[in-house]
Amino acid sequence: MISEPETMPAAEAASRLILTPASPVVRGLRLFSLYSLAMFLTCFVSVFFADLLWRTGWSGSRTILLVLFFLLFFFAAIGFMHALYGFVLRRIDLVHRPASIQADDPIDPAANTAILFPIYNEDITRVYEGLRITYNSLKSAGQVERFDFFILSDSTDPEKWIEEEKAWQKLIQKTGGMSRIYYRRRVDNEGKKSGNIREFLSVWGQRYRYFITFDADSVMHGRTIVNLVNLMEANPASGLIQTVPGIFNARSLFGRMQQFSNRFYTPIFIRGLDHWSEGFANYWGHNAIIRTETFMKFCALPQLPGRKPFGGFILSHDFVEAALLLRENSQVWLAWQLDGSYEEGPPDMIENAKRDRRWCQGNLQHMMVLGARGLHGISRIHLVQGIFGYLASPLWLAFLVTFYWMWLLTSAIGLSQITVHSWMADLDLDAAAHAFLVFLLCMGVLLVPRVLAVIDAFFDHQRRQAFGGMAHILVGTIAETAFSTLHAPLQMLWHTRFVFTILRGKTIDWGTQTRTAEGNSWAYALRQHWWQTAIGLGWGGIILWFMPNTFFWFLPLFLGMALAIPLSVFTSRARWGDIAKDFGLFLTPEETSPPPELVALQTRLALAEQDEAAGPQIPHLIQSVVDPYLNAIHVSMLREAQLNPESAQALAKIGASGPDVKWIAEKLIVRGFDELRPDEKMIILSDADSMAWMHRQIWLRPETTLAPSWRQAISSYCT
Amino acid sequence: MSVLPVSAGAGGRPLGEWNAAYAKVERYFYALQLRNKVVLGKLVLHVLDRAMERAAAEPNLTPTELAVEEMDRLIIKWFEEILGATPETKNMLPTRGRLALILADMPGRWQDQFLAPGPWPEEFVTAMREAYLRAGPEFQLARMDPRPLDLGPMGAIVELTQTRFLQVSVFSTWTLFILILIFIFIRTH
Repeated sequence: MISEPETMPAAEAASRLILTPASPVVRGLRLFSLYSLAMFLTCFVSVFFADLLWRTGWSGSRTILLVLFFLLFFFAAIGFMHALYGFVLRRIDLVHRPASIQADDPIDPAANTAILFPIYNEDITRVYEGLRITYNSLKSAGQVERFDFFILSDSTDPEKWIEEEKAWQKLIQKTGGMSRIYYRRRVDNEGKKSGNIREFLSVWGQRYRYFITFDADSVMHGRTIVNLVNLMEANPASGLIQTVPGIFNARSLFGRMQQFSNRFYTPIFIRGLDHWSEGFANYWGHNAIIRTETFMKFCALPQLPGRKPFGGFILSHDFVEAALLLRENSQVWLAWQLDGSYEEGPPDMIENAKRDRRWCQGNLQHMMVLGARGLHGISRIHLVQGIFGYLASPLWLAFLVTFYWMWLLTSAIGLSQITVHSWMADLDLDAAAHAFLVFLLCMGVLLVPRVLAVIDAFFDHQRRQAFGGMAHILVGTIAETAFSTLHAPLQMLWHTRFVFTILRGKTIDWGTQTRTAEGNSWAYALRQHWWQTAIGLGWGGIILWFMPNTFFWFLPLFLGMALAIPLSVFTSRARWGDIAKDFGLFLTPEETSPPPELVALQTRLALAEQDEAAGPQIPHLIQSVVDPYLNAIHVSMLREAQLNPESAQALAKIGASGPDVKWIAEKLIVRGFDELRPDEKMIILSDADSMAWMHRQIWLRPETTLAPSWRQAISSYCT
Repeated sequence: MSVLPVSAGAGGRPLGEWNAAYAKVERYFYALQLRNKVVLGKLVLHVLDRAMERAAAEPNLTPTELAVEEMDRLIIKWFEEILGATPETKNMLPTRGRLALILADMPGRWQDQFLAPGPWPEEFVTAMREAYLRAGPEFQLARMDPRPLDLGPMGAIVELTQTRFLQVSVFSTWTLFILILIFIFIRTH
């Protein structure tokens, strides 16, 4: 619970809010009650289900079915209980509002904070504009001098590398952020994102009391950042405070529905989660502040033994880092009360699946860590929930397959469905009504959280208005629920495929993405979804043929699969997203009263889009040699990298300054970048002296001796 | 600075070749974001003047080659004067100079000072000399060594699977899968 210390004067108390975790007994009781209620609900409904199975005669497949039902229902019931708890607590909060944690007092000058943007071949414009908005917001809050920004590039695409440097120079020029906004690129990207941050901490970490991690698409308000630092200052036992990022900036129909879902349903779940995890929360990898010293001491992740997919670097490092902090009695908090923390979501179903593929592997890898000695029990709960989030899909599929197999077998051998009496004779239900009751209970667990979110908004005028009014909320919730119903079986198939490909150590080839200006093309959607459509049509056809009575019960399941392609294309379209917005559907608070930061970001991104559309540009690789300024920036950054012993070593390792460099440089001048192998490109781009030498050569040598690409680049500079 | 002779054969070369030289030098200055036409024209002619002086004595070089060489010398000399160069830093001077130009905002504020003889405005000189790009503040190197993580039972299982006997292969996975199917079939019949 967040409370104000009673002895402090009111003004001071408002700015020095103490985060006090519940006592172990209270926390234990909360945890016990929530999970016990979920278990109780699961047992209650499972008995109904078992009874239903019993009525048609018990068999081995029914045992399997019951076990799968129990597991899947328990997972859904946990979510349901979080929503129920959250709903009740939010009602109480409205009457007895807990102390706000808005604390934007000036920050102690010693509390230096680094704001980190780890990037990897990202959309540079989007990343840098997000950084710029955050920087300007902190400037407006009058506290920017307490922060340094670091763009930590792990980009492997040479074109992106140069583009990042070029955009960085423009960024510091536009913002006046010289010696405030830094850029560094790692030569290798060992350990991926966690390795990237670890490398930063090894070089500069000791300069900063805190660091805040951003994702490539994160944006935070300046006052939110100041609040986070002040909270850390007031709570030395806190190792990490995680904000709850709201999704914003979606245009496609899919993106807008996800955005609505995130902003509308999440608060009640999060409130329920915070109830039992106060001080023992989780880390989601970004939009969080971390105490540097504690993190450096306890959170250097080891490589896991064994081979991939479970061995090697820990991919989803965030959960494990939070677990390691909690192991050392450093608190981890969820700052659900703070607004002004944002991220973007995937624009379509396929991008969403790609992200899930990455997360799936990371979460499955957590099975290795689950039994690690010394971890707090709550950390294990976080890890299990993450793992089960992906294992649920194959289990659901197994449940459906077992169910249909059982029925088909009964039909095939000509057994009639003679039912016996229910265990609970008082209910006096026939088998169909009994089955319908179980169905209703399952639907209730899945749908009631949505209803609770609607009721929550009904009682909260401000919230109601923020989502466009009650009528829009109702229609939006119904439409989003309908879409989720169709999307869920696709997620089931995708996740099942991910789990099995990961277990086999395979990767998935997504092919080249072909997006039109509007969204995904039909051809691309066909390539990604054909197998789901085929399964849906085949499975649905078999069921319709052999078991027409059950077909309509599961119609949404087959419909979702069969309509995968049009659903994917249709929801990826920005036009349909815009139409939904025009009708006031899926509105979010950031749309009904947009914060100035987000308005500025959208304006700048629109302007950048216009600039990009203005015409083709000389590739950045060529500019890195020809352009006098970009060449100077690139060479200077390489010389700077040489000052760091680890970078110097890595540069030498890839062959920069090696014996082949001069020969590659000569080849580059005569033949151009297209004739170089990828490793040769990286070698030459990593050698400061060669890059400086080539710039002069390109301008000094007769143009007839140069590759056509250089001549074209030189010609582009004309008055 | 003299005016370029209008007659053909300046420096013993056809005027068309000087035109090409003019274009090349102008392009480099344009790449340096010199947009003021007066400054740009004046500097290009100044470079060409110097190139023409060498033209007669160096017949093996084209006017363009002569002009870009002169431009290069002129720029480096100017960098030396304004930035001050030691023998150790001399080879880095062209890069440092170009970087200083952009960071001191020569294209935006000081176009008239570029390649102009000193003395220059103090603010410009300071901005040029202090211009330096950094990947970060001063290093404060520290080691972040991974702490061993006792994985408990999973660690033991992994160790077991490292042995050849229990190595999971496609074959053993499929065998296991078939066994499970057989088990389910038996249990359900």
